[in-house]
Amino acid sequence: MDLVNTKAQMRKGILEYCILSVISRGSSYSSDIINELKKAEVIVVEGTLYPLLTRLKNSGLLSYRWEESQQGPPRKYYELTAKGRNYLADLDRSWDELVESVSMLRAK
Amino acid sequence: MKITVSINLGGYAFNIDEDAYGELKRYLRELELHFAGEESSSEILSDIEARMSELFRARLSAYRQVITMEDVRYAVSVLGRPEDFSEEGSNSGKQRDSSSGYHRMYRDPDRRIIGGVCAGIGAYWSLDPWIVRIIFIALILAGGLGIIIYLILYVAIPEARTTSQKIEMKGDPVNIKNITDAVRDEFDRVRKNMKL
Repeated sequence: MDLVNTKAQMRKGILEYCILSVISRGSSYSSDIINELKKAEVIVVEGTLYPLLTRLKNSGLLSYRWEESQQGPPRKYYELTAKGRNYLADLDRSWDELVESVSMLRAK
Repeated sequence: MKITVSINLGGYAFNIDEDAYGELKRYLRELELHFAGEESSSEILSDIEARMSELFRARLSAYRQVITMEDVRYAVSVLGRPEDFSEEGSNSGKQRDSSSGYHRMYRDPDRRIIGGVCAGIGAYWSLDPWIVRIIFIALILAGGLGIIIYLILYVAIPEARTTSQKIEMKGDPVNIKNITDAVRDEFDRVRKNMKL
């Protein structure tokens, strides 16, 4: 067993959940999503995020619109779709269950 | 004095040093190969290019108008190389292992007789390595072409060292799409390796 690998696997498993949570607070620009995830130390390199956003969008959980920007070309802002909100609500529940299960096991 | 190249990155025009341009081009090519099996690969790439252009713009000013090697290295370190994000990126790893775009050709050190080229090709297309070996032997007997092809492949195809590489080595069952994908990928890879 390799501690670094186990930790990486744990983070991997919750990355989509983290992305959806960040976006659920309102429409978000990809660089802002990146900054939040980096601050929370969920990702290290930014390239990780882009394929995930596209995959979440392709599976109908996210949508985006173009917004004009004063600093340059139009930017993509991501939002949760109705399907995405349901999906996130499901994930919220299973996260709570997981936390409960783990703390129950640890308390014994 | 240095020659600069002008490029359009994410809808913005940049002047970039020639050596930095080469580095940037190699990096983008690497990403392109990495995402080749992905459904919306061009969209992912243009998102990444847009982010790069943002990172570059933040580093330029009225007194600093040209992108240098240092800027490219900085942007690459922020965005990461393909091997960094396959390590971080969600369960995508698993999905991609089973998708046709993700398996790669490696030399198989576990079943090799000479360099593992035939075993690797066999693993890639789920063929018995002996079928591949017989083809090579036939090519060698028919005039020696097999030896040259073998040497080129030996140089161009990396050896599968880690477990994940060994998983990548074994692909889906044979179908036409796999074969065309693989031929195209390998052609690109050979070309890339020859240049380096």
